[in-house]
Amino acid sequence: MTDTSANPDTETSIYDELPDAPPKQKLRLSWMGKLGVTVVGFWLLMALLGPYIAPFHEADIIADDSFMPAFSQTEGEGKHWLGTDYIERDLMSRIMWGARTTIGISFSATLLAYFIGVTLGIAAAVAGGWIDMAFSRVNDAVLSLPSIMLGLLIVVALGTSIPILIGTAAVIYAASVFRIARALGQDIMVMDFVEAARARGEGLWWIITREVLPNAAMPLATDFGLRLVFVVLFISSLSFLGLGIQPPMADWGSMVRQNLDGLGYGSYAAVWPALAIASFTISINLIVDDISATSGGSLARKMI
Amino acid sequence: MTDFNKNLPTIANLSAMDRETVKTGISRGATRREVMGWLVAGGATIAAAGSIVATATSALAATPKKGGKLKFASDLHGPSDTFDPGLNTSTIDYTRGRSHYNGLVQINDDLTTRGELAEEYSSNADNSEWTFKLRQDVKFHDGTPMTADDVIYSMSRHYGEESTSTAKTLVADVEEWVKVDNYTVRAKMAGPNGDLPVILGTPQFKIIKDGTTDFQNPVGTGPFKLAEFQPGVRSIHVRNEDYWRDGPNVDEIEIFAITDKVARTSALLSGDIDLMQALDPKAIGQVESTDGVGIWSVDSGAYFGICCMTNQAPGNNPDFVKAMQYIQRREKIVKSILKGQGTVGNDQPINVAYGVDHCAELPQREHDLDKAKFHLQKSGVTAAELHVAEVAPGMTDICLLAQREAQKIGLDLQIKKVPNDGYWGAVWMKTPVNVVTWNMRPTANSMINLAFAPDAPWNDTLWADERIGKWLMESRAATDPALRHEIYCSMQALINEESGMVIPAHRNYLDAKSDKVEGIGRMPLGSLGGYEWPEFAWRTDV
Amino acid sequence: MRRMVIQRILIGFATLWVVSVLVFIGTSILPGDVAEIVLGQTATPETLAAYRAERGLDQTLVMQYVAWVGDMMSGDLGTSKAGGASISSLISGRLANTMFLAAIVAVISVPLSVMLGLLAAMYPGTWVDRTLTFGTLSLISVPEFFIATFMVLILAVKLHWLPAIAHISPDDSFLKMMRGLAMPLITLIIVVSAQMIRMTRAGILNVMNSPYIEMAILKGVPRGRIILRHAFYNAIGPIVNVIALNLAYLVSGVVIVETIFAYPGLAKLMIDGVQTRDLPLVQACGMIFCGTYVVLIILADVAAIMSNPRLRNPK
Repeated sequence: MTDTSANPDTETSIYDELPDAPPKQKLRLSWMGKLGVTVVGFWLLMALLGPYIAPFHEADIIADDSFMPAFSQTEGEGKHWLGTDYIERDLMSRIMWGARTTIGISFSATLLAYFIGVTLGIAAAVAGGWIDMAFSRVNDAVLSLPSIMLGLLIVVALGTSIPILIGTAAVIYAASVFRIARALGQDIMVMDFVEAARARGEGLWWIITREVLPNAAMPLATDFGLRLVFVVLFISSLSFLGLGIQPPMADWGSMVRQNLDGLGYGSYAAVWPALAIASFTISINLIVDDISATSGGSLARKMI
Repeated sequence: MTDFNKNLPTIANLSAMDRETVKTGISRGATRREVMGWLVAGGATIAAAGSIVATATSALAATPKKGGKLKFASDLHGPSDTFDPGLNTSTIDYTRGRSHYNGLVQINDDLTTRGELAEEYSSNADNSEWTFKLRQDVKFHDGTPMTADDVIYSMSRHYGEESTSTAKTLVADVEEWVKVDNYTVRAKMAGPNGDLPVILGTPQFKIIKDGTTDFQNPVGTGPFKLAEFQPGVRSIHVRNEDYWRDGPNVDEIEIFAITDKVARTSALLSGDIDLMQALDPKAIGQVESTDGVGIWSVDSGAYFGICCMTNQAPGNNPDFVKAMQYIQRREKIVKSILKGQGTVGNDQPINVAYGVDHCAELPQREHDLDKAKFHLQKSGVTAAELHVAEVAPGMTDICLLAQREAQKIGLDLQIKKVPNDGYWGAVWMKTPVNVVTWNMRPTANSMINLAFAPDAPWNDTLWADERIGKWLMESRAATDPALRHEIYCSMQALINEESGMVIPAHRNYLDAKSDKVEGIGRMPLGSLGGYEWPEFAWRTDV
Repeated sequence: MRRMVIQRILIGFATLWVVSVLVFIGTSILPGDVAEIVLGQTATPETLAAYRAERGLDQTLVMQYVAWVGDMMSGDLGTSKAGGASISSLISGRLANTMFLAAIVAVISVPLSVMLGLLAAMYPGTWVDRTLTFGTLSLISVPEFFIATFMVLILAVKLHWLPAIAHISPDDSFLKMMRGLAMPLITLIIVVSAQMIRMTRAGILNVMNSPYIEMAILKGVPRGRIILRHAFYNAIGPIVNVIALNLAYLVSGVVIVETIFAYPGLAKLMIDGVQTRDLPLVQACGMIFCGTYVVLIILADVAAIMSNPRLRNPK
């Protein structure tokens, strides 16, 4: 997937015009943001409860036929509300089970990517010198190679298990986060309030945790939404290469891939999981948009 | 016995009246869909109807027309694409080789052989010496005549320490290739082997020019000359005007791959390609319901196997293997996963496609969870790991089906999906339970010899039973058909009962083609009639 | 400025070296080697040994790396360990294909996305912005193989308007080329534009929050003028950065589009190289990708500095 971060390696940054102390504001949601919260809430609930309330197990091969249309029925088993998939499994049940896998993996991978990227990025910015140089070169190397190729290398070498998938996605996307965090860190390090803290004789740790991180938090959050989308798509593009989640586990991206054949003769089996991905990721981004609008674009809003 | 003889019907299987109806319909211009509609209304399955229409169209076909171009899309290609016959391992390589080179002998649709570059060939009384008389009118693409030296050189590449040939083992019993005169060569064997000609009909034994080492610009004797070759992109072959036979029907063929199966099918349906290899069984309905294209399915002995390694746990416990065999839902695999384009397997490699050597008397092992549970409990195994690569379309799905059944008898069968690349080197024959697929071999003897003989390098489950080796030797020398059949039956029964192999199903070669292409054979050793089509295929619309 | 560019080029070479080491180690730790993969199911220990000896794979990894670096320095990319073709012959045609496709996508999508991004930033929160936001998010969150396959089914299989595969040759007429490339182009434009639109919007809105813009607003400068004359210039840095990264992606990352449309490009070649463990081939692709990335990032930085007077003369 496209892999970008908003900040170049130089002094330029979108955030370099940030006010000295970001104003604390109460989050106010637009109607689109509210829609986002509702949909995300629904999927989070599904991730928690899906396996318990789904009519079938994700691995159950029970239907009469593959690619049955929505609302069809298998004698003695029950109704397939969204039809069946390519190997005679109930599609709706798989989407419900898949919520846990897809949301779980994408959230943990993105969070881990942020943890790695922010830690190393701020460390590089604060430490400078050869540590910065070494981190940045390795980071550039990772960024310059296509993520799907890196994914292929790591997954083929280490095997496909969920922890490895999460780790792989996290390492690959940490590279982009690193760039943002490092640039932010550098910007903030030269700002008056940090220099004041230094002059007061505060330690490095204090400066990072009390001054740098809080000031970098909001801009980083804006990036989170897109990054999450990329992780979901990254996992699904691995399934394009025959890697990805271990069968029979359901995951939305792989479900789109595996049922793609059905599109040719009018089966919507690939469309439903695609809609699930879209609804989830769009909603996350709508919420993020509202957060960033509240925190950053307050004046821009006034102009309307 | 269950319905084991699930060969697809051809037009010849229809009653005379039905046959006339179909033929008249087609010759009057009825579309494939219309004719299939009549047949399905008359009770035929879609696949059967498709097969009948296809054979009827072929039967009606007049003499081949000359001219036109063909575009063929295979399923895999890459930087390893090669014109070195010894390194050929993929359909695209085999097809290119077939266009560019010739072999000494050629395999017919019924797996008998006929001479190709060898005008005639014969053996001594006990099949321990084979003599090949070469045609004297064959020229390489560069104009030089083909002689015994070229054949000796080509064969020598399958011997010795420096040989990288993937077919080295197949001819290991030839001790020496001797040049008798300029147009005669002789193979001296270590022991009797009547199968040598048919082995030499396999793709790796194509004849190249004496001394060839550069396979980027190969020189062959084949029906087409190479106009362009970019590994992993495409090759273009143009008619060889000086061909020693009648010559190919089309002027040009383009060979490449579309690795994505959905995209490959779409390209056929949209008319961008004329022939495609490896149709996904799920797409049969889509292809059959589109005018102008049809499936090309050839019954074969190719099989899917789940290998329980007999040298380690849990496969070294015969009861575990029995449990794995009894949980297979063989009918369901053929119906749901292969969409009818295959036959149920009986945990031994020789199915009905091998003709008289198939042991029809051997009882079919059925899906039986009670027996499976009994054997599992006796074995004491409760969990196992199954390494799966999609070595043939449907392999993973077969394992998923087995996993659900295993759960029902209390076996936790963990599936580990691994990528295809590196599978043969790192996983197959190494991890406790893994999967395999074998293409059909020309004879039952060579199939068993390859994968079940005690000293076979590719004995999938490392199951070594000296009796198999002994029977293989006996069967080669056996001249009495009844005795021969009895020996083959003993081997199949022994494999079925004692090896670590689970063979749930045999698969057809399932490909697809435009209705405008005729002349594709049904030789069951490989895709699209055993890769034989380049020389013989022709277009109806030129 | 010149010093900065020279410095960045030197850093670029350091990055190239890191990539070569990473790729080398990465490819070497994969299970199986090129011999096992080429010989496949019917390999035997003897044929494997023979193949390794023939292709120089029996040397130690370090020796192989040193030999590769030596060849590279003298401009020799080596030969493929899998098929035996020279790497330069494998790469040349595909490099042209990749650059051709990337160039057309860039020419269309960059102006388009910047314009749409500006439009969204000019009217934040309005229906224009909402539509653009919703549209780009919808497109970005659907796997690209889904978009591509869906388009093939409609435009090629059902309507027969366009060919399903993008097989072009240099002899083709321009119109035929464009017909062949139409669907890959649309797919890629969708994939890269969505992100560029979003980042352009975000970049400008961020600048809008700065004190001097606030000042301008309070002075009553019309908002269109503020955005075009002030905010846009200050946001150019991050925007060109996103554009550069997306262009790098068009060169190295479009493996799915290349696969579905059977378009011979570099991204698929590198994946093929990894899957056959063909080290020299993977290395060559890695060098091209990394080189492209380095050049694009330097260009983006230069553009950022040029556009921002304050950065032109750093304190």
